[in-house]
Amino acid sequence: MNSNRGLLTFVASLALSTVVILPSTARAQNTPKPASTTASASTKDQWIHVRVEDRNNKGETVRVNVPIDMAVKVLPAINKDQLHNGKIHIDDAHLQDVDLRAILDAVRSSKDGEYVTVQSNENNVRVAKSAGYLYIHVTDNSSHHKSSAKDSKDSKESVKSSTDTKVEIKVPMKVVDALLSSGKDELDIVAGLRALAGDGDTELVSVKDQENTVRVWIDSKNLAD
Amino acid sequence: MLLIAKAALGLCGVLAMATAYTFHEGVIRIDVDENISDGSHVHFWLPATVVSTGMHLAPRHNLRDASLQVRPYLPLMRQLSKELPKYPNVVFVDVTGETEHVRVATEHGKLCIDATEPDKVVHVTIPLQTIRDVADNLEAASPGV
Repeated sequence: MNSNRGLLTFVASLALSTVVILPSTARAQNTPKPASTTASASTKDQWIHVRVEDRNNKGETVRVNVPIDMAVKVLPAINKDQLHNGKIHIDDAHLQDVDLRAILDAVRSSKDGEYVTVQSNENNVRVAKSAGYLYIHVTDNSSHHKSSAKDSKDSKESVKSSTDTKVEIKVPMKVVDALLSSGKDELDIVAGLRALAGDGDTELVSVKDQENTVRVWIDSKNLAD
Repeated sequence: MLLIAKAALGLCGVLAMATAYTFHEGVIRIDVDENISDGSHVHFWLPATVVSTGMHLAPRHNLRDASLQVRPYLPLMRQLSKELPKYPNVVFVDVTGETEHVRVATEHGKLCIDATEPDKVVHVTIPLQTIRDVADNLEAASPGV
């Protein structure tokens, strides 16, 4: 009888310790699955990715993956320098004598079309607005022409020159609207992020040159591909 | 003899419970290795419960001083502690250089910060629940932040 009581005490102790452990286990099981397993493309699941890769085979890479929902909630908590409450204050609406807000406002209210087209031996620049997006494309051909002039017969050099600097930026106009939605002299970054998230999977920035490739894009995966 | 056996069983039960409670929030782990002559090697393991319980037992004025010092960062800490648990297994930042590597990620509900240089290796692991507890306690000690 006494030995049974001892056994009961032991079992009861074990049961109690299990009860203590269980909540944390249950919490672990209830934690949401990684976004990589949930491919739903709802606004809440959108991620902004930044990837910088070195093209010189040194293996240098930068990968940043931030859920937009988290950024929208965390940014207002950062109050440093020009960033306050998720808004960037622009001194007198001027950046080195460039009125950024006025430019953005002008672009926003303009009709679709090609705004800037520059074609030269060294550079090609195209700034256009189309179907709700602002496109900025810059191609720097300077090294291509230099190398072509030096040794036009060298095919290897030609291949190398094909990796001249190429910049492609695509900005949804509703993001511009959102950025300008706050008061004067301010850019509302949080509103801009919300607008970005609502825009679905988008490649925002792509830069390729001889040394690096840079990509900034939005999708519903929590890992860069 | 039977009495001793019963006492031993009871003690085992209490120990099991105490161990389970101590580790149920996970472990804070800090490893710092300096791979140079006379370099320091710090390997620090601490049950997260000790921190959250310790903050309840810490003198009120000390906690208030600490919260005043971190006051500018409390809103950020509070938001991060709320948001990070929603992403339990995510690599937020991964920077790989020729000889350096920095990684900030959440793994199984813990915040992991790894920094590796040729002569220094730092690994920090903190349960997300602990960050939230610390934020809550500091906030409670410094109302109005």
